[in-house]
Amino acid sequence: MEGGGNEFTGEITLRPLELSDIDDFMVWATDEKVTRFCSWEPYTNKEDAINFINTKVIPHPWFRAICLNGQPIGAISVTKNSGNDKCRGELGYVLGSNYWGRGIATKAVKQVANTIFVEWPHLERLEAIVDVENPGSQRVLEKAGFQREGILRKYMLLKGKTRDLVMFSLLSSDPKS
Amino acid sequence: MEINLSKITLRPYRISDVDDFLMYGGGNEKVTRFTRWNTFTSKQEVVSYINDYCIPHPYCRSICIDNRSIGFVIIMPRSGDDQCRADVGYALAAEYWGHGITTRAVKMAISGGLKEFPDVVRFQGLVELENKASQRVLEKVGFLKECVLRKYSFNKGETRDMVMYSLLSTDFMP
Repeated sequence: MEGGGNEFTGEITLRPLELSDIDDFMVWATDEKVTRFCSWEPYTNKEDAINFINTKVIPHPWFRAICLNGQPIGAISVTKNSGNDKCRGELGYVLGSNYWGRGIATKAVKQVANTIFVEWPHLERLEAIVDVENPGSQRVLEKAGFQREGILRKYMLLKGKTRDLVMFSLLSSDPKS
Repeated sequence: MEINLSKITLRPYRISDVDDFLMYGGGNEKVTRFTRWNTFTSKQEVVSYINDYCIPHPYCRSICIDNRSIGFVIIMPRSGDDQCRADVGYALAAEYWGHGITTRAVKMAISGGLKEFPDVVRFQGLVELENKASQRVLEKVGFLKECVLRKYSFNKGETRDMVMYSLLSTDFMP
């Protein structure tokens, strides 16, 4: 992530993402800077985006638009696990590249951290895995109070190539940052 | 007891292994303390487990001495974007602990896994923090301890810290 250290001027809120947000969604979803470390390629048409919102976003256990003064500029989500894995959930987020470097993603992550353990009492661990070559995203989690646990070598494929990933976690019992 | 490690073999499970399986999976809480499965309490349970899990599994092998089952080792590859990695699991009858058998069996299984699953470049083992014996097995096989995952999963009613170990295909020395 590039950009100066200016704090944003505006209010950051989280709310469900809706079909009516499609044009705002397309701004970050078509940007290859944003999708560089995502498992998906940039969207090239609205139909695919509408399909994604209908089939993945709306039924998702926890998916929110990150809004600046009410306008969606990114998204953040937590996956739900079952059985013996119910105690942990995985955090993911994307933010429009024009908004990088202003502490917005950190703010959104902190808001999730402050609410998810209350909404999901069975959750004890919120984790996130970040590419070793994505220091901007690693800093977001560090500033939000996550603990860096270690590096998982050749853990996953990203667009066909094996990647080393950094594992971060925040426990319900960790101090609030 | 003297164990000649060259007598250790791996083979798929058979229904006829049920009595031997019950010896290590059935009576001994030492063996099942850290496993995800509970102690088996009947032959029928074991028969179902062998039929429904062991036999159809992509790589589940009985660890044998003189063709008699004394434990198991499994390799479970993932799919999609996770297909470069596979999970390793194992258990051994308690009376055979301390002779290097599990280490030998896991090495043999990794060799087998590399042939069966050519897309796998990472083998990983998740071991409970308190299970030092199992951590030693992975270390002797050549796995690298990567980190401790705090409160990673439930087992037998409690959230557990798990240690993540990995072995890359490029690291492996049979």
